[in-house]
Formats: sequence, C-alpha cells, structure tokens
Amino acid sequence: MSIVSYLKSTILSKIVMAVTGIILLLFLIGHTLGNLQIFIGREVFNQYAYFLQSTGELLWVFRAVMLLSAILHIVTSVYLKFYNLKAKPQKYAVTNYVKATLSSRTMIWTGIAIACFLAYHLLHFTFGVTNPEHTKYNGYVEKGAGLYVEYNMPVPELIEGKYIEIPDGKILFKQKDVYKMVILGFKNPFISIVYIIGVIIVGFHLNHAIQSAFQTLGLNHPRYSPSIIAGSSTFSFLIALGLISIPVSVLLGIIGGVA
Amino acid sequence: MKLTLYIWRQKNAKSKGFMEKHQLDGVSEDMSFLEMLDVLNEQLIHEGKEPVAFDHDCREGICGTCSLTINGTPHGPEAATTCCQLHMRKFKDGDSIYIEPFRAKAFPVIKDLISDRSALDRIIQAGGFISVNTNQAQDANALPVSKEKADLAMDAAACIGCGACIAACPNASSMLFVAAKVSQFALLPQGQPERKRRVLSMVEQMHQEGFGACTNIYECEAVCPKQVSVRFIAQMNREYMGAYMKNEE
Repeated sequence: MSIVSYLKSTILSKIVMAVTGIILLLFLIGHTLGNLQIFIGREVFNQYAYFLQSTGELLWVFRAVMLLSAILHIVTSVYLKFYNLKAKPQKYAVTNYVKATLSSRTMIWTGIAIACFLAYHLLHFTFGVTNPEHTKYNGYVEKGAGLYVEYNMPVPELIEGKYIEIPDGKILFKQKDVYKMVILGFKNPFISIVYIIGVIIVGFHLNHAIQSAFQTLGLNHPRYSPSIIAGSSTFSFLIALGLISIPVSVLLGIIGGVA
Repeated sequence: MKLTLYIWRQKNAKSKGFMEKHQLDGVSEDMSFLEMLDVLNEQLIHEGKEPVAFDHDCREGICGTCSLTINGTPHGPEAATTCCQLHMRKFKDGDSIYIEPFRAKAFPVIKDLISDRSALDRIIQAGGFISVNTNQAQDANALPVSKEKADLAMDAAACIGCGACIAACPNASSMLFVAAKVSQFALLPQGQPERKRRVLSMVEQMHQEGFGACTNIYECEAVCPKQVSVRFIAQMNREYMGAYMKNEE
C-alpha cells in the first residue's frame, strides 16, 4: 500500500484535502494573531519573533508538518482537478450555475495563486532572497531595562540569543529586527499591493474552504449548517482584514514611523 | 409563442454531434416542455426530416426518465421540477432555448438528447439493495423506526435516479445520487446488515464508472427535481469513513 493510494478514492482524497487544509488554516490563524502584535510595538513583536526562532528542533518539526500538509494539499487538489476534467470531457454549449458560488468554482485557480504568493512570501521574509536589504537588521535589548535599542554601529561579537556585556557596561541581548524587516517591506507600495492582493485571494479561497471541510468531514446538519456557512465567510473576511491591516497601516504611517 | 430552439443532434454514440437551429411557431404556454418537443417533432416528420430523439416515460415527474439540459440547467429553470413537468409559461415569446443532453463521461450520448445512464443502475447493483429472506413476513412492529429517521430516510428515498445532479456538476460527480441511496438504507433497520459493505461497494462502483469527485459546490442540490439535500453527502462521507476504518471483510 503506497502513501498515495488514498487517491484511488475520491472521498478519502477529499478528507485529505480537508484535514491538510485545516492544519494550514490553524497555522494561518496563529500567524495572523501573532503578526497583529506588530501593533503593540517593536519590543513585543521582535520578542515574539525571537521566541519562534528559539524553539529549536520544535520549529523544524512544525515546519515539516506544514510542508507535508502543503504538499499533500497541492498534490491531491491537482490530481482531483485532472480526475474531474476527465469525468466531464464535454461542456455544455450554455453554462448556467444556479447555486454554486464563484469562490467554490475557482478553488484550483485561487489555490495556484496562493501557492505562488506563498513562495514569494517565503523568499521575501523567511529566506531573505528577494529583498535581502529587508532582513539584515539586528536589534538589541538592554537587560533589565527591557527596552529596545537600535545601535548604528555594528556589534559583531554579540551572538544571537545570548546576553553579552559590551564595553560601556550595558548588558545587551541580540535579536533579529523583524519589526524593521516588515516595515521596510511594506513601505514599498508595490510589495504591499502584492501582499494585499495575495491575502484577498486567501480570504476568497477560505470562504468556500472552511464550510467545505465541514461537509467533507460529514458535519452537516440543518440546525448548524447555515451558521457554518455564514461563519466560514465571516471568519475568512476577518483573517483577510487582519492581515491586510498591517501593510495598510505601514503605508499610511500608522505604524513604523521610526524605522 | 414563437421560439428559436438550439438542439443537440447526434446520429449515434460514435458520431460527432452539433447544435441545430429550429424555429417553432404556435407553442401554447400550457404545453409542457416535452409536448413542445412533440410539436416540433411532428413538424419535422411533416417536413420529411428526422425527429429529435429524447427520453421520456411517465410525464408526471416521478419516473426520472426525462433528461434535458435546458439553457445550461438540467430539467430547466424551474426548481424542484422535472422537465416533463416544466411548462412553456416559464418562457417568453421570442425566447431562444438551448436544449442539450445530460453530459458526463459516464453518460455517453446515444442519440440526440438521449444519454445512457445505465452507470447508475450498476451502482445500485453494487449495493443499493437489502437482502430479505423469503418466508413468512415478520411482525411489522418488531422493527421500530422513529418518525424522524423514517422522514429522513423518505427524503433520501425521494431520489428518482434521473442523474440531473451529475449533469449539473462541473465534475460529473454522482455523490448526491449515491449518497441518497446509501443514506436511505443506513437510516433504517433493514439496511443495517449490509451497511458497511454497501457504502464501500457503491462508492467503488461510482469510481469505476468514471464519475468525478465532489467539490461541495452544491449545484446538484439546486437542480434536483426531488430536492434531495447535500446533507446526505455529508452522511455518506461519515458512513464511508466509518466503514473504511472498521470494515472486517
């Protein structure tokens, strides 16, 4: 029995789509809430980013689960798309949808767009490939003061994640200046627009995805389904709104005046 | 009423079809859609042309034989109605109407507007039955069924197997049809002995016939002349998961 033998059953494939989708959605919820901390301030946001980076092996376990979920989600959806195209080789001369929503009929296309956006997002912020000038900054926290200080001079002997005493008697803690990275990124209107469009597509995808996962996993009941469908739309809207608020606030100068 | 009809013509299963234009005058709004096609066929016969072949039987909306996709919607614009019960008063004088057969890879067109839906019969043969030993019938009250369960089973059993759900689905998925049949038996005590085997074999047959996968867009429910609910698809997903994990055969 091969690992992809579930593809032989469309119902099992759908369950894989739903479960991997839920895993990715849980990450997105955490990612959104975590990133909204940028509104609290630089210290909190950088400390949060440092905390995530400092989880060590756990971070790699987490990344492996995310990568596996994303791969299964993509492979299954592409397989099902071709399977479905084969099941309806001839289209009607006139097409008319009675009930199907636009977001439900464009899942594969919004999915492909999201995959491209995600690749760019990782290359930009996580791997620092597209704009290395955004990711090179470090910040320093002074012990006891808890305040965030930016030193213009390079302090190369400081090691990330360790307290070190510098010549003027202060004890500093070095961490990546993720706050500055985000601000510099979103100050560029072109990058911001790409992000806003990307996030809107994510919201559009989720609008169908969430309620669809409930249905696939067998959770449909006349008493709850209207709330599930309405909740799915509201939730997607809130996720998209939360994520869009960051580039918009940067562009309007609400956050990041200092960077 | 005067109508312009665009009708799918196809000589046989092997030939390539095309849309053919017809003008039809003197259509009464009291005619059913099929009676309108009867009038067209009489006209064609008088002109010495080949009449349009289409499926029909009871013409009272209960047999599931009529199978026309009208302006892109299986059974046409009226909800919860088969096309034999669709009346011409739903259309306006001067309308253009596109009439096509139910389309799916598993529903090959045999002639004009007739597609072969025997794939659905093979799905039923795979498990859409209960086994009853022949002998004296047992006392009816020996098998209690709650009113709620009986009503729900009846809602599923309302499926007339016309295949409109498949025709409407962009993936030609037969999930609503199979789900209705699986749920109807799973809800009743008589369906219990073969419950797990049934859902596994019917779904397997559905795959073999070449029906697509469900993407939960619910177009099937919208066109179903018997308003079978997609909640039965969720029920079948539950049945399938349980049977897949616990099946002892």
